[in-house]
Amino acid sequence: MLYFFAFLCPVGVGAQWGCENEIKLLTAEIERLKNFGCLGVSPSLEGLRDENAKLKYRLNFLQKSLQEERSKTAKSMININSCLQEIFGAAIQAAYPDLENPPLVVTPSQQPKFGDYQCNSAMGITQILLKTKEQKVSPREIAEKISKNIPANECIEKIEIAGPGFINIHLRKDFVSKQLSSLLMNGVQPPAVGKRKKVVVDFSSPNIAKEMHVGHLRSTIIGESMCRLFEFAGYDVLRLNHLGDWGTQFGMLIAHLQDKFPDYLTVSPPIGDLQAFYKESKRRFDTEEEFKKRAYQCVVLLQSKNPDFIKAWELICDVSRKEFQKIYNCLDITLIERGESFYHEMMKDIVKEFEDKGFVQVDDGRKIVFVPGFPVPLTIMKSDGGYTYDTSDLAALKHRLCEEKADILIYVVDSGQSVHLQTVFAAGQMIGWYDPKVTRVAHAAFGVVLGEDKKKFKTRSGDTVRLIDLLEEGLKRAMDKLRDKERDKVLTAEELKAAQTSVAFGCIKYADLSHNRLNDYVFSFDKMLDDRGNTAAYLLYAFTRIRAIARLANIDEQMLRKAAREEVLILDHEKEWKLGKCILRFPEILQKILDDLLLHTLCDYLYELATTFTEFYDNCYCVEKDRQSGQIVKVNMWRLLLCEATATVMAKGFDILGIKPVQRM
Amino acid sequence: IKNEVDLQVLHLLGPKTEADLEKKPKVRRRLGTGVGGGEVGTETRSLMEQLRGEALKFHKPGENYKTEGYVVTPNTMALLKHHLTVTGGQVRTRFPPEPNGILHIGHAKAINFNFGYAKANGGVCFLRYDDTNPEKEEEKYFTAIREMVEWLGYQPYAVTHASDYFDQLYTWALELIRRGQAYVCHQKVEEIKGHNPPPSPWRDRPVEESLLLFEDMRKGKFGEGEATLRMKLVMEDGKMDPVAYRVKFTPHHRTGDKWCIYPTYDYTHCLCDSIEHITHSLCTKEFQARRSSYFWLCNALDVYCPVQWEYGRLNLLYTVVSKRKIIQLVETGAVRDWDDPRLFTLTALRRRGFPPEAINNFCARVGVTVAQATMEPHLLEACAAPRFLGSVLGPSPQKGQHSPPPSPQALEVLVPNFPADESRGFHKVPFQSTVYIEETDFREEVDKGYKRLAPGQPVGLRHAGYVIAIQNVIKVRGSGGHVIELEVTCTKSDVAEKPKAFIHWVSEPLVCEVRLYERLFLHKNPEDPSEVPGGFLSDLNPDSLRVVRSALVDSSVLSARPFDKFQFERLGYFSVDPDSEEGKMVFNRTVTLKEDPGKA
Repeated sequence: MLYFFAFLCPVGVGAQWGCENEIKLLTAEIERLKNFGCLGVSPSLEGLRDENAKLKYRLNFLQKSLQEERSKTAKSMININSCLQEIFGAAIQAAYPDLENPPLVVTPSQQPKFGDYQCNSAMGITQILLKTKEQKVSPREIAEKISKNIPANECIEKIEIAGPGFINIHLRKDFVSKQLSSLLMNGVQPPAVGKRKKVVVDFSSPNIAKEMHVGHLRSTIIGESMCRLFEFAGYDVLRLNHLGDWGTQFGMLIAHLQDKFPDYLTVSPPIGDLQAFYKESKRRFDTEEEFKKRAYQCVVLLQSKNPDFIKAWELICDVSRKEFQKIYNCLDITLIERGESFYHEMMKDIVKEFEDKGFVQVDDGRKIVFVPGFPVPLTIMKSDGGYTYDTSDLAALKHRLCEEKADILIYVVDSGQSVHLQTVFAAGQMIGWYDPKVTRVAHAAFGVVLGEDKKKFKTRSGDTVRLIDLLEEGLKRAMDKLRDKERDKVLTAEELKAAQTSVAFGCIKYADLSHNRLNDYVFSFDKMLDDRGNTAAYLLYAFTRIRAIARLANIDEQMLRKAAREEVLILDHEKEWKLGKCILRFPEILQKILDDLLLHTLCDYLYELATTFTEFYDNCYCVEKDRQSGQIVKVNMWRLLLCEATATVMAKGFDILGIKPVQRM
Repeated sequence: IKNEVDLQVLHLLGPKTEADLEKKPKVRRRLGTGVGGGEVGTETRSLMEQLRGEALKFHKPGENYKTEGYVVTPNTMALLKHHLTVTGGQVRTRFPPEPNGILHIGHAKAINFNFGYAKANGGVCFLRYDDTNPEKEEEKYFTAIREMVEWLGYQPYAVTHASDYFDQLYTWALELIRRGQAYVCHQKVEEIKGHNPPPSPWRDRPVEESLLLFEDMRKGKFGEGEATLRMKLVMEDGKMDPVAYRVKFTPHHRTGDKWCIYPTYDYTHCLCDSIEHITHSLCTKEFQARRSSYFWLCNALDVYCPVQWEYGRLNLLYTVVSKRKIIQLVETGAVRDWDDPRLFTLTALRRRGFPPEAINNFCARVGVTVAQATMEPHLLEACAAPRFLGSVLGPSPQKGQHSPPPSPQALEVLVPNFPADESRGFHKVPFQSTVYIEETDFREEVDKGYKRLAPGQPVGLRHAGYVIAIQNVIKVRGSGGHVIELEVTCTKSDVAEKPKAFIHWVSEPLVCEVRLYERLFLHKNPEDPSEVPGGFLSDLNPDSLRVVRSALVDSSVLSARPFDKFQFERLGYFSVDPDSEEGKMVFNRTVTLKEDPGKA
């Protein structure tokens, strides 16, 4: 006979454990039943069949309960795609237990006739079976076998096999509706990521005494969004500004400061234009031999931490810092400054560590380290005993890995630095600071910013474009646009100002983020301020419109919240269904970005969401009004809830992109 | 009742002596539907009358508290007030069958009572499938039940399922636990069976614990029988703490694999009634013991509490109606299927040829008495209101050759459809030189009292207007000398001497199959071990079905459809069986005309 245990567990983890254990036990029982292990003593086959059916039912039930417990504890939004992957993974495993790492491909379907999602693994499995087992099985047959092995689940309504072996998946309406309700009740929640991991993002990283230019813009914007995404997903994020605040240039700056403001130690020097100050000292450094000599002395004194020189260094850094902060304020960027100087003391030990482990070669007085696979060695000490970027980057890498204990380390740095960074990373692995299977160290590279002439972005006079000028122009252009649209006549001065900043900075960020960061991108105010197409301007307009729908129907937030609790979201209209599914793709979009760090996917998604919403709104009345009087006749609450869900997801998307929507524009 | 029924039988079928047959013109009658109620109901008050208003001591909607034994809580009046706003003061009843078997005549009473009471008082009646036990349900039962309700002429106000309310019932179960009125128990079924079972040691466990364990039950963490949810109450019969939920790892017909805990009847029934705002929850007497739990549960949850009223159950003699026993009969081949015309399932009765009116009238005659009614099947048979037709020759027909043949214009005979009312039309019957008569309508030797055909004793052919007299008796060669053919002379009846009797006949007939039924069991109470010690299967009547494979029937029935009804002259009421095929009609005899068919 069959015996199994019911574990009487308390709540939480114990209960889950209970479920898992039961599943194991039950699986074992079913296996035994399958093998007719107990036929000898069994009263009748009939009884065993019944028992087996019941055990299977229970097994399914426990699996479902386990899923439910998991999703309940985290309150997270369900990533439907990964749910389906799990389901199909299990089905493939059951259908072809011998296959190792079978291909698992689940994607949203492009057309409704192909269902809501598609699993296209059958084709890949055909290839594998042919190659590894020399079996010729048609993908259709494989698809059928997979379909038969789909475990019990709460999301699939039905599946169909189409064409050569595509498995079209139809989601359950009540499942989608339930997810939307929980989205409305719990707000936008991140997909579950498990243990809270530490992420270090190195971004922005301008140089002291130099102006921030459009190149820094990309790193700053992309880095900020990445941090927001990881923070939202529940990671512990450390945002680091790897300032260029150390090095020989400080010698000439300090020497020049001493000449120009001899009493700098007591009276704060009024350096308004650090850029000009830098140029002056540079000119002197290049032309005055004596000045150059003194500049070198200053470097030595600074590095030996002479207080007067440290003070001078700090004064100069402060001036830069204030300039940077203006930009960070405009763009709503948060960063911790941890410049090269921070790692200065560690560099000596880095060199020693490489020497101790025998990785160092001396070449013409320099200490160099060859890293396998990279032709150019790292120079960790110059012939004059000074350190290089290689040294400081190695020190920073080690500190982030070993002291900060980062699980994920991301460098948002332009593509030009790719070889350098890859070499540094490889050196870090070589010396044993991290294992890429455990720790993810990634260079989120990006292309350069081009002008509308497709050449490097410059001012008309050929200078690099100062970031602050660019932002100011953005503000001006945004205001022009708003005035063009006569928004100044509708909005209060305050609202107009808010709209202006929202549009100006939102557009600049969005234009950057909406392009695949790996490519160069063309900076064009005209394009980014266009309120048609995939632009922030369009999305911001769309968003305020959606938010206005409920307001114009006199439905306040409280009523919406009540309805979210009580109303079932009906998804009978094809556009409602399309929108509902689109909304719920948010977690899978985020998951994808967490994996590939390509934020334009989020922009594409938001644009798709906005256009899908428009389709819905054009086809489905949310509020029905009397044609003559304009009186509200009927409010279709579930549709308002769909509006609300759309807006909630868009708002979260904007938040991750660092775009601030306004109530009215 | 017996007297009344006898009167009915007389009224309906008329006197059945042979003399009568002679006096009455030969007719074929078609009865319109609806005739049943009007004609038969003259002796008994109609069901509607019986059910209307005060005839029953039922409360008025909203006045539930006036019923004796109804429990009034501080919330009762407010709940009743709300109830009236929902129903508008309408009477609401429900017919709540379990979808695990075919309806039988006992259900017909419940259907008539519930639907009839609602109808008679301007109210509505729900058809609610009590589908709380997933193990027993099959799709076919759902459709069959609905079909039978409609066949009896009732239209449900709404078709609902107890499973429609599973979510609500579950929420209420949680509430019941929170209110300290239910707990999770781990006693085994065997432990709580029988008299004076030990009280549950888990009765006083903390509410929080029960809530968690109930959640675990829902999640499948307990095996079947390892945990139940029990309500804290003592029933009339002393039964402690009835079970509200139990674990079953069985998918449900309608909710699929959503649940592995299912509510019990005790828990579900009154709450479903409450949800549907039933005013009168009518049930048979054996549920009297559950009345207090009914009230208790509604009040424990502070929901609207309907009133349960009990009526007497209908017991039939000479048959079995339980699903389990019918299955045994089907499996052992004692009957053909659930709708074998010898059974008293509603489908069987329909197949046998009883019109729904007959069944409804039978129920009316049983009345709404609270006493348990025991009925003999033939009382039901007496309610049949079938149609009349010309003639058929029963088993072993005799062939008669008569000469000279009638004149050419007499080749067809006009026969009235309804003998009592010739204004309702005629049909033509061929009349050729060969006619077939009943074997029993000819004897070689005449004895006293035998008035039909014999050598030297002519007989009249009904409706034909001819009298035949024996010329020659042709027998099978050899010993025994079985008569196969008679040569007769044929004389117009206005010329011939008036014969002593008239018999039925056919000419150019159809060959068909006729199934004749008798009681299925020999004893009144085949399930009673004192009467039938060997069990009901040992009590089968070997002659319950007699099949006449080549009976002859008037060809005018050729176009009849299954369930069409006819009276065959002198033989009884017949109905076309669905087994009929083209060229091979099958008739079931619904009832005979004579109370004792052996008499002729």
